Amino acid sequence: MKDDPIAMVLDDLLKLDDILACIVARRNMISVMPSGEGFKPEVNRIWDVIKRAMDDVFTVIGQYSSAGLSEMEFRLQDNEVLFYVFPDTENALVAIVPALANKGLLEVEMENARREILKIMEISEKEKLIATA
Amino acid sequence: MIEPKFEAAVGMSRKWDAREAGREVAHSAIEKLSHPPDFFLLFSTIHYDKYGGFQEFLNGVWEVLPKGTPLVGGTVAGFINPQGSFTRGATALAVSYDDMDVAIGIGFKTKKNPQKAAKDCCKMIKKELKNSLYKNNLLFEFISGGKIPQFPGIGRRRVIKSGLVSKMATKLSNFSLKVLQYGVGREEEILDSLSHELPDYTIIGGSSIDNNNMKENFQFFGEKLYTNSIVALGVKTNQNVDINTTYGLKETGIKIKITKKSGHDRVIHEIDGYPALEGFLKKMSWPYDFIDERLYRKTFFTPFGFWKEDLLFPNVIGLILGKDINVGYKIEENELHLLSASGKSLINAVDENLQEFKDNENQLGIIIACAAQLEALGANIFTVREKLINFFDEVPFLLVYVGGEDTYSAKKGKRHINESFNVLTLSKNLPAN
Repeated sequence: MKDDPIAMVLDDLLKLDDILACIVARRNMISVMPSGEGFKPEVNRIWDVIKRAMDDVFTVIGQYSSAGLSEMEFRLQDNEVLFYVFPDTENALVAIVPALANKGLLEVEMENARREILKIMEISEKEKLIATA
Repeated sequence: MIEPKFEAAVGMSRKWDAREAGREVAHSAIEKLSHPPDFFLLFSTIHYDKYGGFQEFLNGVWEVLPKGTPLVGGTVAGFINPQGSFTRGATALAVSYDDMDVAIGIGFKTKKNPQKAAKDCCKMIKKELKNSLYKNNLLFEFISGGKIPQFPGIGRRRVIKSGLVSKMATKLSNFSLKVLQYGVGREEEILDSLSHELPDYTIIGGSSIDNNNMKENFQFFGEKLYTNSIVALGVKTNQNVDINTTYGLKETGIKIKITKKSGHDRVIHEIDGYPALEGFLKKMSWPYDFIDERLYRKTFFTPFGFWKEDLLFPNVIGLILGKDINVGYKIEENELHLLSASGKSLINAVDENLQEFKDNENQLGIIIACAAQLEALGANIFTVREKLINFFDEVPFLLVYVGGEDTYSAKKGKRHINESFNVLTLSKNLPAN
């Protein structure tokens, strides 16, 4: 996990004060987590309910990703959960942020992270193709 | 005779460690130049405050940058450059050109005595450039923006509903501004003095800010770090200097009349005879429930504006203290227009602005835009970058998002405003002096 380049992108995101947690996930499955010390403590008390709500959102993402659904978000108690969908997949970059955060600024770094992860995924796909050729 | 070559390059770093980021941002800018830079504009997001500190960041820059290079800059909410769109990291613009004289200036305690700070800054620049023979003048200035004061027992808040606490906060705000240097940035007063001192300059600049929390901001001047200061770069050159401002704001047709204000015209007490907050909500047909810390996500799209000498002055709501509304800078007219923006209109303002420069042989673009637009547009600023890339092509450009935007030219007038998009270009030189 430590050398996973996607985990390193998540590590960078998590260093931002207002990113309380971030993962790459799909329905019922967290694909990549940050490699460092884990999420910020504020998330622990609401993680279970957020996780359940996230899984419901992933059902919608699974249905509409191929139609061009690229972003979703919901507010739960004092937090917002942002989903940046990887095009034509059921996977998304997910971040939990405080409801009062300056979300516009965070969105820019979320988009940078999504683009970086997409590049990593493309390289990994190419390497797989070369290995099987 | 070989014509001197104008060279500009934009560097950046996304490293977390302050010193390493300083080294990288300087190296990545100056490695693209064939001569040492004649000036260096340096900007960073606030993050290095926690990852080594800004003095370390500057130390890193000066490990790479040739000693004595004129350097000014400061903290910004985000930036767009040819490499991408970012709200974390550092960026720099390095310029090398023979047909140009350069000087830097600084003034201190801008919140306590803005006129003196501006004069001190201009004095340094005028002294250094007095023998220059070039006719086209540019001033890039960067001023410490507003900082939300910490009120006892409340902390730093933008919305204080309690009437008693807000009255105390209003009373304390003057003390806070003059003594502690927390409060409004008084940038419009500084710009007044700058344009008075340097009437034949084209001025562009803005307010240094953090990540839109308005807790702290820093300015860079040479090898040193400051706050509550104005730093500026003066340039005299044979290049053409052009500037343009656009907004992406529309008048809603809703007008409000301020019937009582104070605090050097920055605190609105009454609108149409009602307590200001009540009057504002009535005009907007908004319920009282809208008034919480998230209000700013709405008001970024609905700033106030007033007209003065055919120029529009958009002004974003800064603080709500009880029944009072505090705005970012002086309201000079009592009739305000409620303005509205959409993501689309803010992005269209980019195209509209750039049209002004389409016939120039542009060498460099410096763009100052409002951090409120950044907060409003979010990831849509990637579209702003695409438009800038399409327009400038190989020409270096740098956009920084700031807390308030300043422009002045003898032809177009003087404005310290919010929610604007301002482009300055240097374009192919005129015949030799």
